[in-house]
Amino acid sequence: MNALFEDFDEIAELAEGLDDASPGTRIMAVMELANSADPAAIAHLARAISDADAGVRKQAALALTAFDGPETAAALVSALTDSDPAVIEAAALSLTELKDPEAGDAILPHLGDTDTVKLTACFAGIKELRRTEAMGAAITALKHEDAGVRIGAVGVIGWLQDEGSLPALRDAAKDVDTNVRRTALAALGFSKSEHAEATLIAALNDPEWLVREAAAETLAKVGGAKCVTALRIALEDEFWQVRLKAVRSLGKMNAVEAALEIAPMMDLLIPNLRKECAAVLGEMAAPETRPYLEKYVDDTDPDVRKNVRWALGKIDAQ
Amino acid sequence: MPLAQTSTIVPVVIDDALCIADKGCTVCVDVCPLDVLRIVEGPDGSPVTAHMKYDECWYCMPCEADCPTGAVTVNLPFLLK
Repeated sequence: MNALFEDFDEIAELAEGLDDASPGTRIMAVMELANSADPAAIAHLARAISDADAGVRKQAALALTAFDGPETAAALVSALTDSDPAVIEAAALSLTELKDPEAGDAILPHLGDTDTVKLTACFAGIKELRRTEAMGAAITALKHEDAGVRIGAVGVIGWLQDEGSLPALRDAAKDVDTNVRRTALAALGFSKSEHAEATLIAALNDPEWLVREAAAETLAKVGGAKCVTALRIALEDEFWQVRLKAVRSLGKMNAVEAALEIAPMMDLLIPNLRKECAAVLGEMAAPETRPYLEKYVDDTDPDVRKNVRWALGKIDAQ
Repeated sequence: MPLAQTSTIVPVVIDDALCIADKGCTVCVDVCPLDVLRIVEGPDGSPVTAHMKYDECWYCMPCEADCPTGAVTVNLPFLLK
């Protein structure tokens, strides 16, 4: 290497900007440190997280999305107790970008925190890191008074995909909050057990259509004869969104026996539902559904038309 | 492309007091997909502040969202709100 560049430390030089009196210069230093993509910049950005100016702190929290690992996670967790809500929001957002499982080391000690905002952000951050050590705290948090924390905890449990957590997810599927129930039902998709199947089938009778929609969608992943029977009943749900997911799930499960129940739904006035029905009938390629499809070859909705013609092609190809 | 005649009627307004273009920031100029923003230079050629040079905003908003100091405000027309 040229002797001129041997002692040149670009990161140290960029970091000098963090000591400038002007917040604008410090923000520029933060952005340049992030653009360097050099892990040596993490320590300097961690220092900027405790800057006197909220704008610099926010920019440092956002800049840390360019990095990963325990040091980054520790800096972001420390920013979750900032006095400025914008800094907390930026840090919580950056935490969800972490991908290195080792980053979980810095988050795990905070999963029992009493601060709701911090706890929610920590659960959201550790979710995709799939740290089994988080399971205990997540199960405990299912009893937390804040629905956001409970959703975060369900997310952690769902990502860990452990059959041992099924009782906890079943309890969460009966939560008072609609979104907790939806998340819990979606999380049950990994399991092929009878318990998961029974919970999802029961959820098809939930008073909230959003929950029924989530159950209808997830049943396709669980599979099984009971699921097909339950989904065929869900084809008569009062909400078309639930019926649409039931149709899609029956298509994924290739439940040809339901084809003649799906085909009459082509006569409904909901384009999204008709489009999905045509696609599913094409996947099933049941010849007896041909008369229902032929009526809509020249449908006014281009998506419906396209799927109907494709479905008829699939039937003809048999 | 029509030139923006005055800085008071254009949809993208920069707060000069907050803008840190003088420190080397060009975020709003870099993210604008229509390339309608520019950095105003002083007599000595040094950057002073950002401004909207061409009145062709599509209201896509990254200039406002990405500005590190919150200096950019995009005034959405009533019909887009």
